[in-house]
Amino acid sequence: MRRVGPARWAALLVVLAASLTGCGGGDGGDGPGALRFWHFYGPPDSATGGPLVKLIEKYERAHPGVTVEVRHIPFGEFNRTLLQAAAGRELPDVALIGATATQAMAEAGIISDLTPRVTAWGKQAGFLPASWNTTQVGGKTYGLPHVADSYAIYYNTDIFRRAGTEPPKTWAELGETARKLARDGRQGLAISGIEGEEGATALVIRLLAAGGDPAKVDTPQGRAALRHLKVMVDRGAVSKGMLGWNEEDVKNQFANGRAAMMINSATYVSTLRTENPDLKWDVALLPGDARRTTFLAAENLTITSGSARPDAAWDLLTWMQRPDVLAEYLPARNKLPARTDVPDDGDEIRAVFREQLRSAWAPTGALARNSTEVFTHIQGALQAAVSGSVPVERALADAQRKIDEALTR
Amino acid sequence: MKPSRARAGRPSVPPVAYAFVLPAVLFMVATVLYPLAFTVDLSFRDVGLREIVAGGGEFAGLANYRAELGGAEFRSALWTSMVYTVVSVALSFAAGLALAVFLNHRFPGRGLLRSALLVAWVLPSVVSANIWRWLLDGTYGLLNAALRGLGLLDADVFWLVQPATALASVIVATVWSTAPFAMILLLAGLQSIPGPVHEAATIDGAGPWQRFSRITLPLLRPVSVTVLLLLFVTTFKTFDTIYLMTRGGPGDATTILPIHAYLEAFSFFRFGTGAAATTIMLLIPLALSLFYFRALRREEVA
Repeated sequence: MRRVGPARWAALLVVLAASLTGCGGGDGGDGPGALRFWHFYGPPDSATGGPLVKLIEKYERAHPGVTVEVRHIPFGEFNRTLLQAAAGRELPDVALIGATATQAMAEAGIISDLTPRVTAWGKQAGFLPASWNTTQVGGKTYGLPHVADSYAIYYNTDIFRRAGTEPPKTWAELGETARKLARDGRQGLAISGIEGEEGATALVIRLLAAGGDPAKVDTPQGRAALRHLKVMVDRGAVSKGMLGWNEEDVKNQFANGRAAMMINSATYVSTLRTENPDLKWDVALLPGDARRTTFLAAENLTITSGSARPDAAWDLLTWMQRPDVLAEYLPARNKLPARTDVPDDGDEIRAVFREQLRSAWAPTGALARNSTEVFTHIQGALQAAVSGSVPVERALADAQRKIDEALTR
Repeated sequence: MKPSRARAGRPSVPPVAYAFVLPAVLFMVATVLYPLAFTVDLSFRDVGLREIVAGGGEFAGLANYRAELGGAEFRSALWTSMVYTVVSVALSFAAGLALAVFLNHRFPGRGLLRSALLVAWVLPSVVSANIWRWLLDGTYGLLNAALRGLGLLDADVFWLVQPATALASVIVATVWSTAPFAMILLLAGLQSIPGPVHEAATIDGAGPWQRFSRITLPLLRPVSVTVLLLLFVTTFKTFDTIYLMTRGGPGDATTILPIHAYLEAFSFFRFGTGAAATTIMLLIPLALSLFYFRALRREEVA
């Protein structure tokens, strides 16, 4: 569930620098007209952060007199920093937060209720239901979906052509294909299983495909899902190294030809095109067993409870959601629209991701409120079973106990 | 400054002297005592995301402590902490002592070598932890490449994602950075041992091992106790090295108490139990320090 991928230590250095320079309290340079905008996409010169900065510069040009001060905080530190800002009464005006964090932030009173504004605006019907649902807390609207992203299968067409194989249609086929294609130090399928919530995505997708529920992992579906991933690792179809890989590492394995397939989001489409022009690849929908469900990776635009200028912030939010603005921004950002009225950019690869997005799943209710913890425990089960420290049944029973504790607290 | 004399009769201090200490005291209160008191207070309250933002939080008595001490996660973290700390301290002390004895001999390039070794200690842990992460990476790490070159390895070994090797790896990384610190203190201790003592022993026919075990080690005892205590306290509260190398994983294999407390408070937003874990964590080095200071006083009185 990681959306940005700078080297972790570089990210930490940025935090250190930010915490040192941030002591002054943001009064350096921003006039009375400046809106403060926080996000975790990436530094201004990165492929993920750059397009957002350009988008906001475009807004400033179209609105003379309005300045927006954009600050990047690395993903891993974002919620904590926002929280500290709330406790210290230093909140920005706009925070671009992870969709799954919306519920917790709303209940903590960090972001404000936008229901009256949204009702007056009247454009909410244009959003994808899965995206829109992530903004709803207790029947009120606390944000606007910014972008959406889904996971699908990237596959190396050269390797597939030489082996005379087609992209798999079921998880059983995926396992077989991955095993067949794994040889000479190459893995069949690369996935991310890194410590923490971001490494839970593959198991969640596998569990959803089996017809399971991520809140109930100690079930026949949960056992089938985890056992299958473990078997793939044991047979060498998936590398054990995936337990230490984030999504960027997975992309690098695929880009270097060390993996015949990978499960990843649309984030890396342009990166692969520009950085590895010789790599021949395509994208296929996830295998469908009981369901062909992907994990929704999304961010919501929110106005914080500490904003002194919510009207100006709301104007920025609605401008950022204009279909013509999104049509230009999304291809550069490698993301998919959270709205159905954004014109198709004609890109065949992104069309597959858009198709996959129609069957997206995102946590709601108590699961959304505790998603960080629940996904951390799901990753814990994956880690424990795949590394062989405990059997699949034990790993899931342990995870279920911790998930139940988290959900009933 | 001899404590025995201070106890016998405290010299009278002019009142103005207190004014000179005041800024330091205020600084300590603001930066150490206040956060400490805040954390201890937090540990007795039920504080979640909402309470930390808006303030408040109901008094919960010992509920947080009960939840922590009764929880499998805390106990596992405590055990991992003890294994990690004791093994790291022992190895670090042994390596530091060996280096100190070696560098106490005169040979060309000694000063250069001493300073070079200290680099490991002064290097920011953000840098060293990431260097270790790269060295130990299963796919492109230098260690695997070296082992493969020597013909000792035919498949990738993922050092940081297997429980046993992950714990061993973070211990090695810790020892690598703390051993030079132990070395420099022990070296100072060695140099305070008068040369004639060794000469006399040599004349009496003591061999190198006897001189080391009968003279060097006993005379090094006060310094050694200090070094061990300092190593224990700094190792026990390690956070950055482990967080950067494994984030406490795989599973909870390297989740020591500081990592556990961080996850409780800042990943799962349970500030009450996080504060309780931190407070318990504080007691262990505190108890050791008290024990140490009492031992020190007894030694000086004797």
